[in-house]
Amino acid sequence: MRFILRNLGFYLIAFWASITLNFMLPRFMPGDPVSRMFAQSQDQMRPEQVEELRRLFGLDDRPLWRQYLSYVHDVCTGQLGVSISRFPTPVSEVIGAQIGWTLLLGGTALVLAAVLGNLLGIVAAWRRGGLVDSVLPPLLIFVGSFPYFWLAMGALYLFGLTLGWFPLRHAYDVGFTPEWSWAFVSNAGSHLVLPALTIVVVSVGGWMLGMRNTMIATTAEDYITMAEAKGLRPMRIMFRYAARNALLPSVTNLGMALGFIVGGALLTEVVFAYPGVGYQLLSAVQGLDYPLMQGIFLTITASVLFANFVVDLVYVRLDPRVRVG
Amino acid sequence: MPSSRRAPWRRRAAAAVLAAGALLLAGCSGSASGGASGDQVLTIPREDMGTFSRNFNPFSPNVAPMTQQAVYESMLVYNPADGSTTPWLATSWEAAEDGRSVTYTLREGVKWSDGEPFTAEDVTYTFELHQELLGGYPYVESVTAEGAGAVRFEFNEPFSPGLYELGQQIIIPRHIWEGIEDPANDTNGTPVGTGPYTEVVDFQAQSFQLGKNPHYWQPDKQRIEGIRLLAFAGNDGANLATINGEVDWAQSFIPEIEDSFVGRDPEHRHYWFPSTGSMINWQLNTAKAPFDDVDVRRALSMAIDRETITEVGMNGYTDPADCTGLSGNYDTWRAQAVVTDCDWTRQDVDEANRILDEAGYERDGDGRRRLPDGSPFAFDIAVGSASSDWLSVADIISQDLERIGVSARVQARDWGQVTADYEDGSFDTGIVWSNNAPTPYQFYRGTMSSGTVKPVGERTLDNYHRFADEEADALLDEFAATFDEEEQRAVATELQARFAELAPVVPLFPGPEWGEYLDSRFTGWPTEDDPYATLSNRSPTTVLVLTSLRPVTD
Repeated sequence: MRFILRNLGFYLIAFWASITLNFMLPRFMPGDPVSRMFAQSQDQMRPEQVEELRRLFGLDDRPLWRQYLSYVHDVCTGQLGVSISRFPTPVSEVIGAQIGWTLLLGGTALVLAAVLGNLLGIVAAWRRGGLVDSVLPPLLIFVGSFPYFWLAMGALYLFGLTLGWFPLRHAYDVGFTPEWSWAFVSNAGSHLVLPALTIVVVSVGGWMLGMRNTMIATTAEDYITMAEAKGLRPMRIMFRYAARNALLPSVTNLGMALGFIVGGALLTEVVFAYPGVGYQLLSAVQGLDYPLMQGIFLTITASVLFANFVVDLVYVRLDPRVRVG
Repeated sequence: MPSSRRAPWRRRAAAAVLAAGALLLAGCSGSASGGASGDQVLTIPREDMGTFSRNFNPFSPNVAPMTQQAVYESMLVYNPADGSTTPWLATSWEAAEDGRSVTYTLREGVKWSDGEPFTAEDVTYTFELHQELLGGYPYVESVTAEGAGAVRFEFNEPFSPGLYELGQQIIIPRHIWEGIEDPANDTNGTPVGTGPYTEVVDFQAQSFQLGKNPHYWQPDKQRIEGIRLLAFAGNDGANLATINGEVDWAQSFIPEIEDSFVGRDPEHRHYWFPSTGSMINWQLNTAKAPFDDVDVRRALSMAIDRETITEVGMNGYTDPADCTGLSGNYDTWRAQAVVTDCDWTRQDVDEANRILDEAGYERDGDGRRRLPDGSPFAFDIAVGSASSDWLSVADIISQDLERIGVSARVQARDWGQVTADYEDGSFDTGIVWSNNAPTPYQFYRGTMSSGTVKPVGERTLDNYHRFADEEADALLDEFAATFDEEEQRAVATELQARFAELAPVVPLFPGPEWGEYLDSRFTGWPTEDDPYATLSNRSPTTVLVLTSLRPVTD
């Protein structure tokens, strides 16, 4: 319990530090949202309109410390403000409309990659020098080091355009409305395959390698020799004795990765025109949309911290040594 | 996720990969989705919008596409492709002799999409609300309804360009907007307009569809069943859909368009890139030496090869500029005499060298030029790193300048940073767009008027290069004071001559307006031979296309 309380205090400080950074960083960028909009629209906007828009957005001219105070107040009361790049839609609505797809895509890809990677890692380490161990790691690392953009375009081109197996864009076909029906769910599922698969392909190698290496260290432990000497079944030793102990670093990684999912998968979203938070963040940064940027950063911060907190809790259960420290 | 950390600006490069891939597949036939039963919907991709928000508030800068084109209409439509003006919600207009007022006569029998009649009150209310929410129209003194069928605008000074500005303002219904409590923040989810397609049939974040206005004033021109828009987070996705024949009307940059797009079905696939966008200039900060010297500006202009710039930098999609600085938008205003008499937009390295030698910018032992005070003739060209085409243009300029012993360093930074330097006048040179409007007034005002010049250090959004000329000021005032087109033309010719003499900026090429279409499902598109509108699906002329297209039936 003391462990949890102490950690909770640490998380509060970390949260404060990160929301302060969220506030400061966008404001260090040159220009302001309206002149950005002006530069991006190029000849579409007249200079006179700039003042008009400043007025419309109600841009803040107050000193930074006062903006900061009201920002902290807003964060604590859950008000994220109105997005500038998507004016007058509230930030919470912009994020809310996208985050479901981001979680679906990121979550599916992460779970698949982690489960698959860990399993392969376990098998590779158990049968060192076997087929899985000698072929897969170099192959997966090779594929994983491709520029993701290139890989995704290639997959889209091959499986989407040429073979026509999967849809080319969006989270579901035009004409559908999101609902809990088999028709919609299967349609959304078929749209999910390519984007998720490309992410899995590039990230599975990392998981596999990590697991394989810890697993090798674990299999050298005395208790494994002991288990073998006792004549336990190899499967039981592999999963219950070796893999279970080798899993600890992977749990940490999973926690971190879970937290970062909410940041979205920008390139995936761009290539597959898949809805999600990543593209919103990009356009928020380009448009200096402070409220939206802060909102997304806040969501990322909160979920990374939350995921880490959960991992800490899980660790207490998994690893008795943590409880003592 | 490692994928989200990579630089996003690989779009063009990736698009090139895509195009190359398309080449390989050119043999395969493109599949146009949906048949030609006559009730097919017109499909348009938006490569610049990752998702749509249901926001049809025309006062919002992030309004849903088609709001200003299909839902609401303006009193007149100006078409830059052929310089013509089409009366729309107004049937005619008249300017007072003294240039201090304009009266628009409104069309009779126009109804809002909820069945209410359109009146002069709607027009006056629109301008009232516009000034309350957004300000603007500083020259308008008052707007009054003259009965139900006419509106009179009083100006506080003669201002002829106002005719188009006011005429192109889209009009909103008073009876609806009066009841909206906070018009600036309202998203107007179910819009009521006079346009041809006002009904929101279906709205999703990734696509939405508009249906026919049941009370449209030209029902015989609503031949399309509806308009569907698709959201894309970048050029690649949109281009893929276009190349695959799944959309009817796209407006994005497609590299190698002949092979990647047209080649797959030359009979039904067409594009037209009229040079009616804004003139792209190489702006030299005239508040700094040596750019305050007209000889330097002309010599630098003569040193660069605009043919290579347009061929290589811009994919051959546009043409070199001439000394008037006017883009294809102003072809009817262009003074041929000025164009033929002037030589500083044609490459002539020897002449450039001669001018610089004579003006006292001598070469040192290494062949590098020096300013009269002995410092090296070297400067930066600032371009936003996102604009890969303009970056290659800057690279070509930099190479060309080597030949006259001048060093120009291309500086690619984030657009925000670059424009911040433009705005406070701390930049050396940069590649910048210019004002584009129905008359050349705005272009010349933005390049030569003292009214737009701010001292270095003070922020400005116009005339970044900080150049002013008293004679040009007088000409601009003269232009604004007359509504007579003959007189305007005479003044515009003088302005062009003045521009050619002073070279306030170095014009490079007019920005092309992208436009691609498939005529397998709809016909009646604007073309180079029939330029009744541009091929833009997001400009004021869009409504002309929407009311001209016909569905193909089997």
